Amino acid sequence: MVDIIVLIKQMPDLEQVKPDPTTGEPQLKNVPLKLENLSENSVEEAVRLKEKYGGKVTAIIFGNEQSSAILKKAYAMGADEGHIITGFKGNNPSLTAKVLGEKIRALKHDIVILGNQSADSISGLLAGKIANHLGIPLLGNANSIEVSGSTVKVKRALEENNQIIQADFPVVISVTQEINEPRLPPVMQIMQAGRKPINTEAATLTGREVKVLSNKAPKSERKKMVFEDVDKGIAEIVKVIREESR
Amino acid sequence: MKALVFSEFPEMAAQMVTYLKKQGEVDAATAGSKADALSHYGAGKVYSLNGQMQFDNVSSWLVETYKAGGYDYLFVASTILGREVAGAASQALGAGIIPEITEFQAGQSNAHTKRYFLGGKTVLEEESDSKVFTFAPGIMDAEKVDSQSPVTPAELKQSAVTVVSVEEKQSSGVNLEKAKVIVSIGRGVGKKENIAQVEPLVKAVNGELAGSRPVCLDYQWLSDERQVGISGKKVRPNLYIAVGISGQIQHIAGMRGSKVVIALNKDKSAPIFDESDYGIVGDLFQVIPKLVKALGA
Repeated sequence: MVDIIVLIKQMPDLEQVKPDPTTGEPQLKNVPLKLENLSENSVEEAVRLKEKYGGKVTAIIFGNEQSSAILKKAYAMGADEGHIITGFKGNNPSLTAKVLGEKIRALKHDIVILGNQSADSISGLLAGKIANHLGIPLLGNANSIEVSGSTVKVKRALEENNQIIQADFPVVISVTQEINEPRLPPVMQIMQAGRKPINTEAATLTGREVKVLSNKAPKSERKKMVFEDVDKGIAEIVKVIREESR
Repeated sequence: MKALVFSEFPEMAAQMVTYLKKQGEVDAATAGSKADALSHYGAGKVYSLNGQMQFDNVSSWLVETYKAGGYDYLFVASTILGREVAGAASQALGAGIIPEITEFQAGQSNAHTKRYFLGGKTVLEEESDSKVFTFAPGIMDAEKVDSQSPVTPAELKQSAVTVVSVEEKQSSGVNLEKAKVIVSIGRGVGKKENIAQVEPLVKAVNGELAGSRPVCLDYQWLSDERQVGISGKKVRPNLYIAVGISGQIQHIAGMRGSKVVIALNKDKSAPIFDESDYGIVGDLFQVIPKLVKALGA
């Protein structure tokens, strides 16, 4: 039996985020929120571990009033219990780590699973922060997870090699996108998920301030000379290639 | 400003030293076996860390050294280990952290930084009292200096994580970060067998072959060391030829630093054309042979 906590986050559907044509700022209004890509892999892995070893999956999200739809997705995939902590005001990894860390401390946990680097903020800091906050080992960038007794073994995919690393409960594990293919929950489970209770509380902690000076789409300063006439294009491009590949 | 930088890869630590030393004094730490390689880039001191590097022992060494050495800032190259280490160190220091920065300017009390956000869709310009930063790789070329930095060995503590085994990845020795010309393929190539039809172009331009995330990770047509993008290599060649790449933002974020970009794509509305200097709309397997022929003429 393994008590698993899975940390999930929400993000705007990036495919639908367009920069404002005049200011260059991202238009996030009316863009639907979704369960962040690696959070989906994390829930999937937590549920697979439960199915294999028995136990319980508890999902936690630091979000806002809109997070219940995100949590219901985790329920539909197989999470047993869920907590929403409201008060998320923007990307602030130190505050997120503290808020989540305190919540994790209050719950039973053998394994804490999260994504290695989220698809929107791409910061990848939370795993190290949570592990340090809780004072427990981090088994990072896991491509596979194996539990025997109270020992967890993971395949850690690094830039130049793969390592098999292990540590004893409780541990934090960050997972890669390659660890699994998240399931599409059946309609029955989606409907049941809608009726499951959601625990909501407000965050009491506050973080230090980061002043955002600007947040704009980078301007492309490329020449953008696009040829639909292939022969004409080749004539032009050959000159450029000769110049640049010398 | 006094800065401490760390990367397990000396070439990345060297890039940070080169970038930061214009603003102050910089000391750098890397893996023990590679420390000598880092001693030619103008760091005040090079620390050579001995022991099995994990997130906990590296971060605790950095935190102790940062405090004892009176450093103002800690910079860590954004790698798998680096992000874990930076997260843990900032938490232990109770210091603010800004990830994935591409620019840094130390101010009076605050630091001014830039980074990509929303998966690379926007650039976030921020000002904060953060003390820890992860640096996006490939920000600039490392520049050697005449003098040599003294190397100080340091022992890492035992980690709570046990390494059971290490399996080296099959490496073809490709180094996209150093390539002057890159031909990068995307889903538009269609299937693995079609790569053979792109190879004459790679040869004709004397380039390295690279690919987008789907090509390298999802379909595994190419090894992951050839992946360009926000989760792969960040490259800055003189010439980047995108073949059948639609131009997802995650890919653009890995090749934005290229000097000249050429795109070949059959879809006229592919976003890659907005990020290109020159583009040809057409069937890849008709355009490439013609292009190769023209280059040979």
